[in-house]
Amino acid sequence: MKKRLFTVLVVLLLTAALAAPVFAQSAADSGKASGPIDIELWYGAAMTEAGPPPSDWVGYSVIKDKLNINLKLTALPSSEADQDVKISAASAGDNLPDLFMVRREVWLRLVEQGLVAPVDDMYAKMPTRTSVQYDEDSRAFTTIDGVSYGLASPGSIQKNEGVLIRKDWLDKLGLSVPKTTEEFMAVMKAFTFNDPDGNGKNDTYGYGAFLELNNYEEGLGRRLDPWFGAFGVPGTWNLTKADFGLNVRKPAYFDALSFVKSMVDAGVIDPNWLSYKKDDFRAAWKQGRFGIMREQNAAYAATSNYAPFDKNFPDGGFVVADPPMGPNGDAAVGVYTRAFRIYALRDTISAEKKDAIARLLEWMSSDEGYFLIGWGVEGVNYTLKDGIPVADGVPDPEYAFTGPKGQPVTQLRNLVFYNGKVELSSRYPTYVTATSGKTMSALDVLRDFQSRSWVPTIGADTLPPPGTDLKRFYEQSVAEFITGRRVLNRANWSSWVAEFDKLGGKAWEDAGREVAVKNGLLR
Amino acid sequence: MKVKTSPIRLTASDRLFYSLINIFLVMLFFVIAVPLWSTVTLSFRPNDFIGTNFEGMFLAPWKWSNAAYKALLGNNGFIIAFANSLKIIFFGVATALFFTIPLAYSLSIKTLPGRAVLVIIILIPHMFDVGIIPSFLMVKNLGLIDKLAAVFLPTAVSTYNVLIMKGFFEGIPVELKESARIDGASELYLLMRIIIPLSKPIILTIGLFYGVTFWNDFFHPMLYLNSNHLMPLPILLRNILIASGMNEFVEVNAFGEAPVQSIKAASVFLAAIPMIIAYPFIQKYFSKGTLLGSIKG
Repeated sequence: MKKRLFTVLVVLLLTAALAAPVFAQSAADSGKASGPIDIELWYGAAMTEAGPPPSDWVGYSVIKDKLNINLKLTALPSSEADQDVKISAASAGDNLPDLFMVRREVWLRLVEQGLVAPVDDMYAKMPTRTSVQYDEDSRAFTTIDGVSYGLASPGSIQKNEGVLIRKDWLDKLGLSVPKTTEEFMAVMKAFTFNDPDGNGKNDTYGYGAFLELNNYEEGLGRRLDPWFGAFGVPGTWNLTKADFGLNVRKPAYFDALSFVKSMVDAGVIDPNWLSYKKDDFRAAWKQGRFGIMREQNAAYAATSNYAPFDKNFPDGGFVVADPPMGPNGDAAVGVYTRAFRIYALRDTISAEKKDAIARLLEWMSSDEGYFLIGWGVEGVNYTLKDGIPVADGVPDPEYAFTGPKGQPVTQLRNLVFYNGKVELSSRYPTYVTATSGKTMSALDVLRDFQSRSWVPTIGADTLPPPGTDLKRFYEQSVAEFITGRRVLNRANWSSWVAEFDKLGGKAWEDAGREVAVKNGLLR
Repeated sequence: MKVKTSPIRLTASDRLFYSLINIFLVMLFFVIAVPLWSTVTLSFRPNDFIGTNFEGMFLAPWKWSNAAYKALLGNNGFIIAFANSLKIIFFGVATALFFTIPLAYSLSIKTLPGRAVLVIIILIPHMFDVGIIPSFLMVKNLGLIDKLAAVFLPTAVSTYNVLIMKGFFEGIPVELKESARIDGASELYLLMRIIIPLSKPIILTIGLFYGVTFWNDFFHPMLYLNSNHLMPLPILLRNILIASGMNEFVEVNAFGEAPVQSIKAASVFLAAIPMIIAYPFIQKYFSKGTLLGSIKG
């Protein structure tokens, strides 16, 4: 009996010893120093799958030594919906961190509940950062009733997508780059039925797309927006003074929808477009499945993304084309706005911590902070070539800022990047492709995309979103019209718009107008 | 002398019935096997493969590439997340069984004073979920935020599992318990020395239920854990699966040169392996445990 009791005790002790780390406070919290100020930061990771900065990241010690700050980092979940849940739960539990990234919709709710601190006094304490990150638009983005409740940094690069067309297919078929919707249709038919790749099989299509609806996007999504641009109705909103409103309620939307349906009916669009996900779509163009698409600059031209296409089609290649021009002379790749990432401070933050955060952010925008957070340590994670950080020449390529082990040290780069020349040149270097020896540059492609025709809708992402049911009705219906499940004719379309209004479409437009007028968004 | 046995003669309707069953099972096999095979072959697909997903499923094994697995297993973040998941499943299952077995046993004793009231008290939160915010506040007030225990402690007792186990315990002959009590055994002794040894099927079955739940849990770690070094596999898996950065924002993806889709498929497959390994060992107890538990009220 004693032996058994002894065994039980030993097992319990072992279990307790093993369990200790499971119940213990995380290592980062232990051993708090009395001097430095603790700042907890929930950040949006540059690459969530790459892991956080390691515990021995040099940034921690620099920030501690120079700024007297103990920085504790938490990467927010990768999806925005999960981020919202985490922030909402933390706010309800009075557990928000000192500084956190937050989506505008959730941020608005936090402001209404008085859970975030005003930041107007911080701008003057961060002159360098304010000059590169917080311009008038940025402040307007987070200002409510004259008070700024968040720090809005520039978000993703705008106008970074464009219309690409297979030049080798055009040449083989003796065609020139199309300009109008009619010319595009003719080329798409030729790409579909005239065996442009010469393999003797009927296995190519004119246009490739997939349903991609990001935040504040409705309808058929951005991949088909050039066709709506041709009819003057790209994106969700028209933000002009003369013709403000929801594009879907405008007569031209019917014409645009009819054109897209004619593409589907003619069989010139890859029939998988309704089931494709982003990866499938990208795998498809790399396999030579279609000849025209709207694609993002880096997804098309960055080294690793272009490599499979280059290997598969060393003699092939895309060129950037102007978006198709419609019957009234309209043309647009799509719409663009100015995207911002909001970082907010919890309402109960002390003045001392607020000052420390201003110090931290100002340092991040200094040369030292900008390069350390954006690229890591010179000579370890990058080298400088003409003032531009490059991955070449580092002792261990694994630790280069583009390498698997180097990427974690640049996870906070979205806190310092502002789409400036240095970071874009570094991010998109010119290179020679491995198979065909072509010179490629995702930056040149970006500049080309940005020079094409776009429609500005600055501030459209601050307009009220539709209700969930209305959004579903909208998107499901247009897809049904395109695929023939609903008959697309003027009478049916008018009935549908009336139904849309009845379900809240008109009220949504009115609410949008009120906000747009109030915030001076109409041009 | 051998006894001659004549085979059972099947009628035409029997044969039709068995044929339909077999056809159904074959179809079921394909419904399960095709996506699994598709994921496995996708995870081994080389970067230079040209073809559709369907063609990829028939790619010869000698053309497969293990780049995705090499990249994942060589990634420190993956190893840490895997270890965290193992910790959660180990302590989670141990904690869950530690609470579930005594609770189910207590409720199985028909003479327990206030038994009906206790059952109702346990059933109410099962039927009416308290929601995220109260749960978050409770975890916070218990001081469990940013501790692995927050992932499994609040959900350590599943009412559903308690009821199944209670049903199993009720099926153990009363005479066995009575004779032990007559011999002077306490309830704790009875539970430890008689009930638990007789309940291996249900304990393993319920342990598997808990194990699968903890292994797959994404939501609680996302909500309660802040330190990156505590994040379990489902968090990393989700990051990999929905990461848009792989295509658009970097020149080389975080896992080296392996194709993005292969990385995603390999991470799904690697995450499923522990369950795939564990299931056959527990399978023989599985139907016995659940069936015996389910027929008792």
